[in-house]
Amino acid sequence: MKIMVDILQLLLLILGAPLVRGIIARFKARLQKRRGASIWRPYVELFKLLRKEDLTPPTSSAVFRLAPVLLFGCTVCVAAFIPVAHVSALLGSRGDFFLLVYLLGLGRFSLSLGALDGGSAFGGMGASREALISSLAEVPFLMGLVALAILSSRADITGMVAWTLHQNIFNISTVHILAFTSLAMVVLAETGRMPVDNPTTHLELTMIHEGMLLEYSGPSLALIEWASAIKLHAMLALLIALFGPWGMAAGGSGWGLATALLLYCAKVTVLMVLLSVIESAAAKLRMYLVPDFLGVASAVSALAVIFTMWVKR
Amino acid sequence: MIPVLGAGFILLFRNPRFATRAALLVGALEVLALGAVIWQVHLQGELQEGRYLRADALSAFFLMSIAFVSGIVLIYSSGYLRHTGEGRFSSPRWFYALVFMFLFTMISVCLSANLGLLWIMMEGTTLASALLVGFYNTEGAIEAGWKYLIVCTVGIAFALFGTIVLYLAAVKAGMSPASGLDWISLMNAAPGMALDPHLVKLAFVFVIVGYGTKIGFVPMHSWLPDAHAEAPTPISALLSAVLLNCAMYALMRYDVIVSRTVGPAFSHTLLLIFGVLSMVVAGLLILVQRNLKRLLAYSSIEHMGIIAIGLGLGGPLGLLGALLHTFNHSAAKSLLFFGAGNVRHNMGTLRIDGIQGISRTMPQTSAALVVGGLAIVGLPPFSLFISEFAILSEAFAQAHYLVAALFLIVLSVVFGGFAYHLFRMLCGKPGRRPENARLIPSEYISMGIAALCVLYFGVRIPHFFNVLLHEAMAVLR
Amino acid sequence: MGLVGIATEKILSSFSVFLFLTIILLAVARRISTSVLLFSLQSAIITAEVLATGFQEKLASAYLVGILIFVIKVVAIPRAFFVLTKRLKTVHDVKASTTPSQSVFVVAVMIYLSYAAVHSYGGAVRAPGDSLAAAIALILTGAFLMVSRKKALMQVLGLLVMENGIFLAALLTTFGMPLVIEIGIFFDILMGLLLMGIFMFRISDTFEHLDVSKLRRLRG
Repeated sequence: MKIMVDILQLLLLILGAPLVRGIIARFKARLQKRRGASIWRPYVELFKLLRKEDLTPPTSSAVFRLAPVLLFGCTVCVAAFIPVAHVSALLGSRGDFFLLVYLLGLGRFSLSLGALDGGSAFGGMGASREALISSLAEVPFLMGLVALAILSSRADITGMVAWTLHQNIFNISTVHILAFTSLAMVVLAETGRMPVDNPTTHLELTMIHEGMLLEYSGPSLALIEWASAIKLHAMLALLIALFGPWGMAAGGSGWGLATALLLYCAKVTVLMVLLSVIESAAAKLRMYLVPDFLGVASAVSALAVIFTMWVKR
Repeated sequence: MIPVLGAGFILLFRNPRFATRAALLVGALEVLALGAVIWQVHLQGELQEGRYLRADALSAFFLMSIAFVSGIVLIYSSGYLRHTGEGRFSSPRWFYALVFMFLFTMISVCLSANLGLLWIMMEGTTLASALLVGFYNTEGAIEAGWKYLIVCTVGIAFALFGTIVLYLAAVKAGMSPASGLDWISLMNAAPGMALDPHLVKLAFVFVIVGYGTKIGFVPMHSWLPDAHAEAPTPISALLSAVLLNCAMYALMRYDVIVSRTVGPAFSHTLLLIFGVLSMVVAGLLILVQRNLKRLLAYSSIEHMGIIAIGLGLGGPLGLLGALLHTFNHSAAKSLLFFGAGNVRHNMGTLRIDGIQGISRTMPQTSAALVVGGLAIVGLPPFSLFISEFAILSEAFAQAHYLVAALFLIVLSVVFGGFAYHLFRMLCGKPGRRPENARLIPSEYISMGIAALCVLYFGVRIPHFFNVLLHEAMAVLR
Repeated sequence: MGLVGIATEKILSSFSVFLFLTIILLAVARRISTSVLLFSLQSAIITAEVLATGFQEKLASAYLVGILIFVIKVVAIPRAFFVLTKRLKTVHDVKASTTPSQSVFVVAVMIYLSYAAVHSYGGAVRAPGDSLAAAIALILTGAFLMVSRKKALMQVLGLLVMENGIFLAALLTTFGMPLVIEIGIFFDILMGLLLMGIFMFRISDTFEHLDVSKLRRLRG
């Protein structure tokens, strides 16, 4: 029974991902006084891409073809770690947060390799920028999670969530607020959103994530796009689970799960609105300022870790 | 209260000449009032007015300095402003109004019984004098004024923190919140070790850094040369002679409390360190000065260092020397600044290279400068010799040989420096014929009084003065 | 205790984290207007703490002081800053002498130091340790801002942040000094700001810029 619930959570994360993307795009459009595309548009795109032919550049090797698959696999694994409506996940206790971070890293790495293998200039440029950003983002990501791990004395995500569930919601925890700030900044960097990267840009010179996709087409492109949508959804779910899990079902009762699911939808909606607002309000940072942005995230996460020494909350 | 009313009064006058006369009148009134207060304190021991104002012997002593210097400064400025004429700065009535506000704040510093009020008034002195420092609207003056304002405000903020910590210690020891900042209550609570020693030490550190900024102790002195050099001459005199003394007064009050709580070693060591540091650094920098007023400003820093050393040594001679020195230094420094002001008017510049041969062209001014210069380096028969000698003896008596040695070395260095600079100014061919080599009466009077003071006190301290001095010392012990 | 009681207790014990956030953001702010907004946010938080203290300790004077702070520091001073920025026609850049990353690092070190200081002086005070550390961190940050920012307006802002910190420290450790003294302190700060404003006008008139690192005529 638990397995069923966990599989359903995973499916929710995977299948709901394009919807999340669509909703965010719609919010942004509305904020910018446009009408925007329908929220189901990403699904249409995915189907379209799956039916098309997969072209590969003549100079590429197997790496180019394998990269999207590897990326998709890693991202699905990551999604399997994150509890959504129930305080457990499919791969829940089999790996800790280090595994999570580095699975994401592996996915990114394979995509970068694929982009480099594609042989285009923009692929290389995007890959190198992505490498910079991800190496800088790794520190705050890890440290924020370390701070939470120290507090909850558990290393796996589900354990941390369970610990947080037992805390009083009104005890504002300094460590949590600091960790949330830094992890939020990391999410912006990891998922390639403003102000770090513009996901809707057409100009190749400003592309980071998009630059790596330029050579891909057909099902490979579908896999990559889907993987990045899943990553976004999973990161949002991670934030919710770590910092606002109250309402999650601990038992297996149907009603409990249903309410947990509804609560989750509400929380995700809040985060999506927040993300849309930030994206519309912030201008994209120039490349040399991104390290500063992530430096702030690092400092905040370092403070979070330091505070675990004193605060003990 | 008189200076405040005086300030308002002056503003009413638009005509500069009337303003000057009114200023002199108000100044005279104020000196008389202060004299009355001093006399009463002498007779009665202490005056208390309400919860916040109090005058004891120490206050009376400093009030006497203030009265003396402000009197001659006002006399001097009546002539000074007329000399420079109109146009370059805001009118004389603003000048006098601001001066009286400044005096008001300084007098209140000496009269406050509550450490909080002391702080407020200290901050008030910074504010009141900032506009005076930047009185001339030149680039240098504005820069000096800004630096002065910022550095001193920061310093005073530190002092505020120190005051708060002291208040905390008082409240923790069980004193009622209302009297936690009252100096007398703190004095009484202190010997019983009721106040937490760590907090008191912490408070003193902040206070000495904070008020030390206003005194001009060395790491925090950056504003002093600029401010004293760019301000109009009477203001420079007021700043050097009175403001520094007021800040020292504030520090003395804290020193007494801290000494009574944790023993004198801690605060006195700090005072000695800052004092020696200021003396040495300022003394060395005197050698390389190129601007006359900056030279005088560094000399002020050096003398404040001397006073701090005197305080830090403690003991009867040390205290005597320190207190006497505050007064002597005020007199001598005012004299020097007045002379410098004259030089500036007549030669148009304050750069030492630009001034030559004034012994021939401006004999009276140069006489004043020589007298002041000899006094300030501590030669007999001038008064500063006595106070410095007292401090030196105390150093020997307490076997602080290093301090004494440094003291002597720096004094010699300063002597050499002053001699060098003065000779360059006095001798040589006069470059420029000054227009007005004769001193006008106001300047004559003010400089004369200062010079006489400096001379006379070197020979013999008037009885009344002596008595007041000893009473002040009693307060400090 | 009631909802207000719980709220005040939470305010006193946990709002310091928001103060820390404003400190960090001040270190990286790149425009004067952002810094001023952060400052007014800080002052608003401090106002909340003052009012909460008043509620807890049943001190009427605390309410008065809280209202004063709100009016002066949250409304009047930022307004004055904006007006000044417009009048002085300054460029909006903050002109820091350190990059944002370095500033954040320095600020993080300061926060660590202030916590260490609070813990070593331990139970000397009866205040929540967090908030006291926040106060000390504010003081240090104010000093840092004054030193590392080259615009006159930012120096004044640094001074104001320092005053915030000192005031918060006073509030926490003593739960209210005599009212007269507090009012006096406020008055002083106001007059100081007024004077600084006057000076800034003069600086910009005479030098045509507000970059104080260029005020280096007087040396030695």
